[in-house]
Amino acid sequence: MSGLTSIGPNISPSTRRKPSAASPGSKARRELILVWCFLFPSLAVFFLYRILPLIWNLVLSVQKFSIFGQSEWIGFAHYWALLDDEVFWMALKNTLLFIASAPCGIVIALMISLMVNTEIRGRNIYRTIVFLSYPLMTVAVGIIWRWMYDEKVGLFNFILRTIGLIDTPLAFLQSFELALPAVLLANLWQILGFYMIILLAGLQNIPQNLYEASAIDGASRTVQFFRITLPLLRPSLFLAFVVGIMTSFTSFDLVYVMTQGGPSHSTELLVTYIYKAAFELSRIDYAATLTVVQFVLLVTLTWLGNRLSGGEAGAGRN
Amino acid sequence: MKKLFTFLRSRFVIIPLAIAIPVGAWNIYITQHADGVVYGQVLTADGLPVAGVTITMMEKNFTTNSERGKVVSATDGHFIFTNNRSHNIQLRASKQGYSESEQKVVRLYFKSQNVTLKEPLVITPNQDKP
Amino acid sequence: MSQNMQPPSVKSLLSNGAKKRTSSHALPTWLLHISLLLISFCLLLPFYWVLKTSFTGENIFIYPPSLIPQDPHPFFYIDTWYYIPFARYLFNSVVVSVLAIVANVVFNAMAAYALTKHFKGKSLVITLLLSCLMIPFQTTIVPAYLITGKIGLLNSYLGVALPTFSTIVCIFIYKASFDAIPTSLIEAARIDGLSELQVILKIMIPLSSSAVASNVILSFIWSWNNFLWPLIVIRDPLMQTLPLGLSRFLSYHENTTGALYAFCTMVLVPGIIIFLMAQKEFIRGLTSGATKG
Repeated sequence: MSGLTSIGPNISPSTRRKPSAASPGSKARRELILVWCFLFPSLAVFFLYRILPLIWNLVLSVQKFSIFGQSEWIGFAHYWALLDDEVFWMALKNTLLFIASAPCGIVIALMISLMVNTEIRGRNIYRTIVFLSYPLMTVAVGIIWRWMYDEKVGLFNFILRTIGLIDTPLAFLQSFELALPAVLLANLWQILGFYMIILLAGLQNIPQNLYEASAIDGASRTVQFFRITLPLLRPSLFLAFVVGIMTSFTSFDLVYVMTQGGPSHSTELLVTYIYKAAFELSRIDYAATLTVVQFVLLVTLTWLGNRLSGGEAGAGRN
Repeated sequence: MKKLFTFLRSRFVIIPLAIAIPVGAWNIYITQHADGVVYGQVLTADGLPVAGVTITMMEKNFTTNSERGKVVSATDGHFIFTNNRSHNIQLRASKQGYSESEQKVVRLYFKSQNVTLKEPLVITPNQDKP
Repeated sequence: MSQNMQPPSVKSLLSNGAKKRTSSHALPTWLLHISLLLISFCLLLPFYWVLKTSFTGENIFIYPPSLIPQDPHPFFYIDTWYYIPFARYLFNSVVVSVLAIVANVVFNAMAAYALTKHFKGKSLVITLLLSCLMIPFQTTIVPAYLITGKIGLLNSYLGVALPTFSTIVCIFIYKASFDAIPTSLIEAARIDGLSELQVILKIMIPLSSSAVASNVILSFIWSWNNFLWPLIVIRDPLMQTLPLGLSRFLSYHENTTGALYAFCTMVLVPGIIIFLMAQKEFIRGLTSGATKG
């Protein structure tokens, strides 16, 4: 960058502001005003769209909401209704299954990132190809996968029948048992790249001389992997797991496009049920209750993940 | 100045330009050739031109067809439409004493593209009933 | 772990040779290539499949599907362009994204600059921002809809873009970048008499160009792909953004026409091109946000 000499001459003496002769107190106050003015827009957005909704959710969940403003307080009635709602339990179970499928994806991503981390030629191309699916529009991804699972002409049925594993075509997205694994596979295809990036960043932070020194000591590849790589990757692995948790709480697009909640709610997630309750069934207060439960669950799981990893988790997609 | 040149040679400028220039050229081509002219010929199966055939042009929406215009073929079998507003039309030829031709689908590259049909519409004369 | 006591030349020799053997995965190269090629094939297969169908329209009704496209034609793309108001949806998406990007860059840089100063309550603000990271957007949709309704921004570009006007990840990316600028530089600029705004515009932003680029690409991708919020806020069919238009098309026409897949491809291609152009910035933005620099 150009040196300060280029800044200096541009300021003619007439425009040069005289050094402030005011007391340090007013300068500090000016700076304080400046700081809060600069912070104001961002803080306003976060207050309006993160903090206020959080509080309002709590308020809504103990109300009977009326659009005309005459909401009445009904205590915890919605929460008791929640316990009896079998769609809620189904959604909860599906969300937890979603989370449970994350380690599988992380293991695959770990293998890929180990392979990409070596010195083979074209590793940048491989890395790009694996990461390509992440920044795509999830709606389009859902449509592609939905059609690949099609019963009559889909790719999966074609492959399975050609191999000979099945005789009659399987209706993946219409079957009660297969719909959720099908959606999980599509989600895995998309999130694999993100896991890989996290793990790759973690792998590249491991100092190379650790491997060299251990090789001189006679350690085999396997021992190196389990004694050096894995322990030092622990923060990245748990960060990827936290990302997986976040994904299971935010995968609205994929489920909405692929199955709309699935045959008999077999792919209903908490987030899709919240959307349906609020905007299709028009039960805003019940949706707020669901949101409160979802948020508590999310915070608990993430806190557990943080504690297990011993560090701080990072950001997922906001 | 040098920084400007470096910026201009960067991928953030070259790639959008490489996309914008063909798109601009294509749009210019479209404006030159979009008069809505459809020119074709009606023949029998033996290759003889048929005069006085009524050709119907239909415009295809996503799910429906709607009629747009009719012309009559000249003595050498040629016909011409000049008011095509669509990019997906269907043509059908019919005449008294002849069976109707197939419904020929013509898909164009842009709306009102001027097109000369490569294959003629074929109609066959009805067999004389004994 | 024993100490490495050889003289430097021997040590470097050993490490060079040892590097080949002790890299974290010392499988033979051809095996690595084969497995990576297999994985790439599996990952690219859906792209190929949808591209093939958008050009040929086969496999929509016919079984068994053919693996190589036969007589491809671009007419499905032309159908999509004219029958669906694709240009309108594209325009809506672009407007919303541009709003989001401009607001993001300005607001995040301002907030990060404020966070480089020391003031009372700074740690409180930082804690607040970090805790907002834990609140994903999906847990705020119901009240956010009510709030947007009360402000009167339903069904408008601003209403769609407003929740995305600032992101915490990007604030911290800027903050890390600003913190890395040596204070001597800023002091010297202040002594030269530059106002605060000039300090930001002339020194800090040019030195943080990578942070700005990361912010631009991250906010573009997030705003371009955003589906849930436009679904809630937009009621007018002509105001729909691309993801919304795509899902409405699917629900009206199911998969009875190749135009759906042409639409899919036309929607994916800009995202892919922009991602490939700005890969480095995108990945850098994600990883620095992920490690919360």
